[in-house]
Amino acid sequence: MSSRRSYLIRRVLHGFMALFIIATLLFFLFRLGLPDPTAALITEGLTPEEREQIRASFGLDRPIWEQYFIYLANIVQGDFGYSFHYRAPVADIIWERLANTMILMLPAIVLAYGVGAPLGAWLSWRRGSRADTSGIFVGLMFRSAPMFWTGMIAILIFGIGLGWLPTSGMRTLPYVASGFLDKIFTLDFLHHLILPALVVALYYLGSPLLIMRNTMLEVYGEDFIEMARAKGLPERRILYAHAARNALLPVVTQLAVTIGLAAGGQVVVEVVFSWPGLGREILNSVRTSDFPLAQASFLVMAAFVITLNLLVDILYTMLDPRVSFK
Amino acid sequence: MNRSRLMKSAQEPLRAILGDRLALVGLAVLLSIIAMALFAPVLSTHAPLAVNEREEGSLFTRSVEAGDVRWQASPPLGEATLNAADYRDGLGMAVGRDGVVWRYAGGDWSRLDTPLTATLNAVNIREDGATLVAGAQGTVALWTPDDSWQTFAMPEPLDVNDIAWRDADTALLVGGGETIWRLDLASGEVESLQSPVGRGFDLNGVALDVDGSAWLVGDRGLALRLAPGEDTPSLERLPGNRELNHIHIADSGAGLIVGERGTLLVRDDVESSWQSHDAPDSRAMRAGWITDEGHAFAVGRSGIVFERERGADWQLMPSDEERHLRTLMVTESNYFALGSDRFVNRLAPPSGEHWFGTDHLGRDLFSQNVHGSQIALLVGFLGAALVVLIGANVGLVAGYFRGRTETVLMRTVDVMYGIPFEPFALILVLLFEPSLFIVILAVSLLTWRTVARLIRSQVLSLRERPFVKAARVAGASDLRIMYLHIFPNVMPLVFLELAIIVGVSIIAEATLSFLGLGPPQSISWGGILHNARLSGAWREAWWWNLPPGLLIMITVLSVFFISRSLELVANPRLRARR
Repeated sequence: MSSRRSYLIRRVLHGFMALFIIATLLFFLFRLGLPDPTAALITEGLTPEEREQIRASFGLDRPIWEQYFIYLANIVQGDFGYSFHYRAPVADIIWERLANTMILMLPAIVLAYGVGAPLGAWLSWRRGSRADTSGIFVGLMFRSAPMFWTGMIAILIFGIGLGWLPTSGMRTLPYVASGFLDKIFTLDFLHHLILPALVVALYYLGSPLLIMRNTMLEVYGEDFIEMARAKGLPERRILYAHAARNALLPVVTQLAVTIGLAAGGQVVVEVVFSWPGLGREILNSVRTSDFPLAQASFLVMAAFVITLNLLVDILYTMLDPRVSFK
Repeated sequence: MNRSRLMKSAQEPLRAILGDRLALVGLAVLLSIIAMALFAPVLSTHAPLAVNEREEGSLFTRSVEAGDVRWQASPPLGEATLNAADYRDGLGMAVGRDGVVWRYAGGDWSRLDTPLTATLNAVNIREDGATLVAGAQGTVALWTPDDSWQTFAMPEPLDVNDIAWRDADTALLVGGGETIWRLDLASGEVESLQSPVGRGFDLNGVALDVDGSAWLVGDRGLALRLAPGEDTPSLERLPGNRELNHIHIADSGAGLIVGERGTLLVRDDVESSWQSHDAPDSRAMRAGWITDEGHAFAVGRSGIVFERERGADWQLMPSDEERHLRTLMVTESNYFALGSDRFVNRLAPPSGEHWFGTDHLGRDLFSQNVHGSQIALLVGFLGAALVVLIGANVGLVAGYFRGRTETVLMRTVDVMYGIPFEPFALILVLLFEPSLFIVILAVSLLTWRTVARLIRSQVLSLRERPFVKAARVAGASDLRIMYLHIFPNVMPLVFLELAIIVGVSIIAEATLSFLGLGPPQSISWGGILHNARLSGAWREAWWWNLPPGLLIMITVLSVFFISRSLELVANPRLRARR
């Protein structure tokens, strides 16, 4: 067991290391690409003294290594600076946007995996049949279609053509919400959620479906399935109680990785549906040259991905006793 | 010998594709897309970014609903521009390009057969219904209600721009180069009248005043007046010096002259002088009409229609489409505006001319879609080749050398796994200018991680195989073992990854272009969808949205099908399952 604990500690350290490297890369990438990040702030007609003052207020008059350490110290304290565009602390903006993104992505991913995995198991049972072929085809089709396009077509059909569902934002405007929970626990919000969540779910559907199907086919060859058959268990019971449970591991792994990447959002879905999430925010910050916001959004996304990847590894050690801790 | 070994390792994937029906379909689709990209200049029907224009015999009808005036587009009259129209006692006539003549009677339009081929600019109906038409190169002809045509020979092949009846047997024709002709219909004789200016200005309009004199207007605000019975016009002074295009005088003596840059000259009755009015828009006005009560109408380019009640200001009226209106026709119950010479063919639905329709700038979407395949495949294959090159080498080196080299390389891969794709590409574009290079860089920097991991795990097991040990004992160098002994064995995996990443790259490029971060001035499928979204017209113009998305989908899908059969080669265990 001690080998397992030291393995976990090592993985956590690696995670922090990766985050540190990404933060460092980000810092130097920004300094390389934007020698003067305050350019977006400086308007015509400012005197050189005023420009210097603005630069000094952001600490840009100090040597680069000093700036770097201030940057790292601020990140550790959860201080991501001040947004040029919103004229507000970046941290406040990011947490709200991240929550908006997750409230869209989590239901969508749960839906995709909740439908995709059982469907994949069923397809493996009917392997070679017409249902199998068309299931694979549909899964791959939604995987191949760009999500923003599927979204546009969905808006055209269900939003504009049939008029069933709202096509943009999280709530019907104007509305006043006293807090995040107040904002999401309404029918109006659910109504707004359906279309974007469905589009994301359709895109993700293919991967649990195919992974589940292929792993199931591998599991069918194992001895314990033969054993179950020999005991005379019904085929359906073998499928779901014996084979599916053992085939679930790669699907769970993929689920965690997907959730990790979900923080980065599907920028395009948030853009197409005007969903005020982190992905759309990073696009806007790029457009408005709001570099503190862009930098911090990116760092938060990276942290999310790394954390979830770490979780995958920990999950693995718990779910699969065959994993070796080298 | 080594080359043949490499060839052999490439043979197996090919055989796998040829043996699988879905993969074969995928290969066929992919090859057609490649052919489309290669032959894009030949296949596209138009220059993809050229603005396309079109002409038609536009017909607008004035409608009043709940007091709101709107000029509604009626089904067009043919495909030729209509330049002039006239109406009298239940008979309407409209003439246009290439000798086209339309007759309006009892609320219906019908096209007349004519012996004329030149473009017609003028039409005027006599009290008995006989109609004189005139146009380019001295074309003048008389139509009589028994549907016969009589043509007249003019002294010079000059363009005639307008006609007025002086009396039942005499017509005044005005045109280019200050031409004034008096045509005697009974004898067919034509007399040229001398203009007092004589500088070759074009005359564009002629109208008979209530006192029997004729007004002639033209270039640079030129206005002439021909007193009844006289043959020498005198010069009149009007406000302004813009080109005047048309004059209309009502039976009450109210008059309207329109011209370039929103020129509007109005006369309330015979006694009053011409007053210049402010127009709500300064585009070229082509025709005007004023009723006996002084209710005035003027039409011009880009669907501009002005109206004015006597004593009030001119108002810009809403019209359905941006057609270039050239003439007005007023009947007892209707007001018609007709046009339209070459206008930009915006948001046209698919037709024989534009197979996939046009966009908001009148550009051909079929050609754009055909050209879009070039960027998609370029980024797809170049990106994938780069990814596999980096990934395979990193995997090979890490797996073969192990130790510290492996640790450093694989830690790098771990860091790469912490970077989300779309935001990373966004940041790259924020920091550097958007270009094809950045797109390919963003795609390849973030996808080689998977390849490196996969190849490494394969190499880890391959390096312990007897044939590698044998090579080492025989004194082969590390490079030789890595690339000549191990690499051919991971080839199937490399091909598989190549195929998958081609699909990933194509979607990545489309995504970036859709977000408006693709290379500017280039045509790509994602870019077409970006334009559609930006213009706001995508909600109506389905022909704009549908093709690029479908093309992306079938291209990526075909690559996926191919990769599925390659999977069989890379992972022989799968073979038993199918």
